[in-house]
Amino acid sequence: MDLFDNLMLGFSTAFLIQNVLYCFLGVLLGTAVGVLPGIGPTATVAMLLPITFNFEPVTALIMLAGIYYGAQYGGSTTAILINLPGESSAAVTALDGHEMARQGRAGPALAAAAVGSFFAGTVATVVLAVAAPPLADVALRFGPAEYFSLVLFGLIVSITLARGSALKALAMIALGVLLGTVGQDIYTGTPRFTLGQRELFGGIDFVSVAVGMFGIAEILRNLENERTRVALVGAVGSLWPTAEDRRRIVGPILRGTGLGAALGVLPGGGHVLASFTSYAVEKRISKRPQEFGHGAIEGVAGPESANNAAAQTSFIPLLTLGLPAHPVMALMVGAFIVHGITPGPNVINDEPALFWGLIASMWIGNVLLVLLNLPLIGIWVRMLRIPYQVLFPMIVLFAVIGTYSLNFNAYDVYAIAFFGLLGYVLIKCGCEPAPLLLGFVLGPLLEENLRRALIISRGDASVLVTRPISAVLLALAVAALAVAVLPSIRRRREVVFAEDE
Amino acid sequence: MRTLSRMIAAIGAVSLVAACSGNDGTSGGGYPEQNITIVVPFSAGGPTDTVTRMIADPMAKALGGKVVVRNAEGAGGTVGAGDVARAQPDGHTVLMHHIGMSTAPALYKNLDYQPLEDFATVGLVTEVPMTVVARQNFEPATFQDLVSHVKANAGTVTLANAGIGAASHLCGLLFQSAAGVKLQEVPYQGTGPALTDLVGGQVDFMCDQTTNTSGQISAGKVKAYAVTTPDRVKSLPDVPTTTEAGMPQLRVSVWHGLYVPAGTPPEIVQKLSGALQAALADQAVIDQMAKLGTAPVTAADATPEAHRTHLDEQLKTWAKIIADAGVQAS
Amino acid sequence: MDRRRSLPDVLAGGILILIGGAFVAGALGYDRGTPLRMGPGYFPLAAGAIVAALGLAIAVKGLVAGEQITFGTIPWRAVAVLSFAVVFFGFFVRRLGFVPTSLVTALLATLASRHVRPLTAVAVAAGLTAAATLIFVVGLQLRIPWF
Repeated sequence: MDLFDNLMLGFSTAFLIQNVLYCFLGVLLGTAVGVLPGIGPTATVAMLLPITFNFEPVTALIMLAGIYYGAQYGGSTTAILINLPGESSAAVTALDGHEMARQGRAGPALAAAAVGSFFAGTVATVVLAVAAPPLADVALRFGPAEYFSLVLFGLIVSITLARGSALKALAMIALGVLLGTVGQDIYTGTPRFTLGQRELFGGIDFVSVAVGMFGIAEILRNLENERTRVALVGAVGSLWPTAEDRRRIVGPILRGTGLGAALGVLPGGGHVLASFTSYAVEKRISKRPQEFGHGAIEGVAGPESANNAAAQTSFIPLLTLGLPAHPVMALMVGAFIVHGITPGPNVINDEPALFWGLIASMWIGNVLLVLLNLPLIGIWVRMLRIPYQVLFPMIVLFAVIGTYSLNFNAYDVYAIAFFGLLGYVLIKCGCEPAPLLLGFVLGPLLEENLRRALIISRGDASVLVTRPISAVLLALAVAALAVAVLPSIRRRREVVFAEDE
Repeated sequence: MRTLSRMIAAIGAVSLVAACSGNDGTSGGGYPEQNITIVVPFSAGGPTDTVTRMIADPMAKALGGKVVVRNAEGAGGTVGAGDVARAQPDGHTVLMHHIGMSTAPALYKNLDYQPLEDFATVGLVTEVPMTVVARQNFEPATFQDLVSHVKANAGTVTLANAGIGAASHLCGLLFQSAAGVKLQEVPYQGTGPALTDLVGGQVDFMCDQTTNTSGQISAGKVKAYAVTTPDRVKSLPDVPTTTEAGMPQLRVSVWHGLYVPAGTPPEIVQKLSGALQAALADQAVIDQMAKLGTAPVTAADATPEAHRTHLDEQLKTWAKIIADAGVQAS
Repeated sequence: MDRRRSLPDVLAGGILILIGGAFVAGALGYDRGTPLRMGPGYFPLAAGAIVAALGLAIAVKGLVAGEQITFGTIPWRAVAVLSFAVVFFGFFVRRLGFVPTSLVTALLATLASRHVRPLTAVAVAAGLTAAATLIFVVGLQLRIPWF
């Protein structure tokens, strides 16, 4: 059996002592930078790339990959504990994860995230080993028209992220898309809405928006009435999920894994879309949709599984085609080159030990991550016992330093204050920040692919409906909009659900 | 505070590894007095970044100080270059830039620096060849076929590039000017996405550095028509040069050079240039560059004078091509 | 559900109209192109108009049948102090160096709480600055001068 031989080769490579060691170092570093606001996997990999020049190529790539998926793991920790998502996908985890933490259930939330991520990572690694080449072909079928329709569908689905009014959620998505247009236009180079400031040419950084709208706005809300917050966190319950919790997270983990593994293959937007599509699915099919946004454990387990599955399968285009799907992978391409391996479709045949060793190491990395993270839960939860008067200045200080360290750009820091105030006022008016954040992340993709599709088709907008994948996605988007916005339909649905129970 | 210190301990691991990355060589007074930063005005992991990181350590050794690489990407490299133009002219802030240094004045009308006036050249580093590649099932068989095909189908053929001002964009402009045809250009954000769509058959053809294309070419995922250097490239022996294929005007390579802000004392520039020459003579650097499909320039070209002459000549060449094409980036 | 006039809805709508309108005004200055060959101004113009329209819808709905939201109090002191702390860091980190800027930012941040005692504030700020310096400057080797 071919696959079996390949996996044997992979594991015999990955289990070499130095490879396990650097895999552990990678996931440890990834977790650490995932937890710190601002500094992300890209910066870390860029910083460590030069030292890996002296390693064996497979060891170097194992460590760099470990940093990437380790950071996906770590990003959810701060989202749950202090409502500070480090990566765009963790914004979804913050919705219910942080609510759970407020209810003294940070332990179960973190455990659900860890277990879900581990399961998803394991399954996705198998997918990677078994089906990488065919999945890569699917990814290549996605041209600009398909991406536009996919992103539009994703944006409309994200209306579900809101607890309250669908109209407001839609407005927040649109506002996010609008804010995403700040910076230089990639087609003409025209600086847009930059107020003449060069520092804004690169646009507003995601981290500034996330830190402002989630972190700072949350602190301001807590400071409204300082006494209640202390009382809330005072009651830290059990660290582990109850039997009821365990029963509730099985379905979301399975579905999240499937969704994440499938969407992760798509370069660019796939990995972001995975976690909140999972959230939307769970909320839609749940018998208790009203619990979502108020601490539903399904809203943590599903998206976290989807996120981690996507983190693994997003290596497919890189490994099978040599095409990077994420800035971290672009750096890994650099690592390939430096080690004299030409990235491209031939890596799988020319360097089987490297290819299969890297895949096997991902499974080992996931085991290491769960071993590392489960014991840490106790420590993280205890962090919530730090008096709030110490905790919130710490969040503010670390967040501004972390954000500044991204580009050494003072405007990134000013943007935190702006988005903090904007987010705070909007939240008080019943508008939620999560849809805005996703609009902000996906908006530029929407514009880029729409314009590119129209350039390639010579201005013929019908490509969006004549290409089958795109047409299906657009139809889904229209359906999702109808279901979400038309209140009459929704109310009828709720009645149906009520009758079911 | 005990919990806090435990958290720091958890993060301490980061410090350990980060600390390993620095090889603290202490210098005996004078320049360099602090860390030297080489600013790369492009994202980490790209070819320019890779070249910079290759020479950073050998240069540090020669200078007896520490060299750190910082990525300041944005607006086709003009953001990072602008930063360095305004930096202290004390030799502690160095810019690594490629061919884009000579094209920016023509591309960006609001450029806040002038290459010849605001920078002192340190030396050339390397010249990376470029290739003309197409989707696998694109009809033309040879480079000559390609030229006649795009001329006949100028209305429908799409030419991808990695963004305004990127090397692939410039090479595409030169191709259009040499072939006397105006094609529909499709800009992407970087080579990765552009190459993905080329392999996926969404766009017809593009021009990019060997660094990015040779893996796809040898795997047969894209069709290679020509290399844009006078001699064939070692890693792609079967691909003809543009001169052989009858378009000698299409000669372009991504040349890299080091710069410091104008007003930097000449002895510091000389010291940097000497360190660059030492780095380029390092066998490890030569080997690594060979893997990129390129080679270091000669010691004579890694000097401020040769670099300045080349920059001056390139500025004039590109000013004309870009003005003829009517391209304006901002 | 009890639905009538809602001030927060009107406020949210107003903010959206303002931001959307500002972007529309800005976008008018860029080349719009045609719907099928979009210039840099096209997409922001459309997005800005949609935001403003949705803002208008929210505001109108807020006047006749709004969501009942308890707006609550605004911790003015925290709002002012925290914004100032963040902007202070951005503005001064290059000018004053890492340690002094962090110290002042942390001190300002602690003062956002109404119940903080001055001595505690100083102790917390000093502790956080030490921790931050250790993690970011010593640990991660951030290139910011200490002083």
